[in-house]
Amino acid sequence: MNQYVKMIVVLLVISCASGAVLALSYAVTNPKIQQQELQKLQESVLKVIPGATKMEEVQKDGITVYIGLDDQGNKKGIAFPASGSGFNGVIELMVGYNPTEGKLTGVEVLSMSETPGLGAKITEESFTGQFNGKSVKDQFIVKQDVQAISGATISSTAVTKAIKASLDEIVKLYPVGGDF
Amino acid sequence: MQLIKDFVNGIWNENPIFRIVIGICSALAVTTSANNGIAMGMALTFVLTCSSILISLLRNIIPSKVRIPCYVIVIATFTTVVDLFMKGYFPALYNVMGIFIPLIVVNCIVLARAEAFASKVGPLRATADALGMGLGYTWAITLISIIREIMGTGSVFGYKILGAGFTPWVIAILPPGAFIVMGILVGLMNLITRKTANSADGH
Repeated sequence: MNQYVKMIVVLLVISCASGAVLALSYAVTNPKIQQQELQKLQESVLKVIPGATKMEEVQKDGITVYIGLDDQGNKKGIAFPASGSGFNGVIELMVGYNPTEGKLTGVEVLSMSETPGLGAKITEESFTGQFNGKSVKDQFIVKQDVQAISGATISSTAVTKAIKASLDEIVKLYPVGGDF
Repeated sequence: MQLIKDFVNGIWNENPIFRIVIGICSALAVTTSANNGIAMGMALTFVLTCSSILISLLRNIIPSKVRIPCYVIVIATFTTVVDLFMKGYFPALYNVMGIFIPLIVVNCIVLARAEAFASKVGPLRATADALGMGLGYTWAITLISIIREIMGTGSVFGYKILGAGFTPWVIAILPPGAFIVMGILVGLMNLITRKTANSADGH
């Protein structure tokens, strides 16, 4: 009997101690983590909108977009998140779009888990750079108007489709030539 | 003397990857580039050392019937704490190592050393063993990842070393390549060990 009581007590104490340690670590690190994530988001938004130095979060019809502003407060473009499933997992992107010209201004990969050396090349400038200046009227079809990474057609297609799908939604909210 | 023996044990005689062949699911999955290999090795060594020390200190308190759940709780707690602190305070490091940290919980080396060693000896010997095992794991997966990175992409630690004329063997960085490279290395290790054992016997 005694042995069973000891078993329960020890397991209980260890579980409670570990729960307390976890709760404490979470409380200490959570504000820091939030801050890091916000900073990461801001960096990616400013990167895909040329000339932007500040960003503003806007909710429109349940879709979150980020408006990039320069020092004088002029609107330079909008950035929106896009995601799609790649070869190994979800690919998350930040896409810059200029509604006045109806063109993309940049693409950043936020997170992905594609094969290193193959699909992971989607993060490289040589791949993402080709979306700069692409018009919303373009087809966005891999191997036609989008250059695929050799040996990584699935990853290339996933990125292209994710951009196109989100872009179509955004264009409905912010039509080409319209106000933003 | 005993401490040195415990330390060296994990590096060669009982190398977790090449000799005991445990913890290979992470070893096969992350060894696509040399940077990954080292990062995973360091993260594992840290968690292994911390949990071995704690389990060694608690060895007389934990009843044997509930030891496995106790070890799992200790290991999972350490891993999560490392994960949280790294995310909050070392974001650059987290970007490189982040995806490997949760994998440590399911790495059976940590549990195996807790069960087979740390729960039976004092904290000093447990530390020596954990550091040795961690280092053994690190050099083994780094070697695998260097070979796979060179064959699969022609570079090592991200630097191109083979010229443009080299056609990468893509299979090396895909999952089958991990099994092929590891199999060959385990075979080579066995060959070396057998040779040295034979010459020690005077053959």
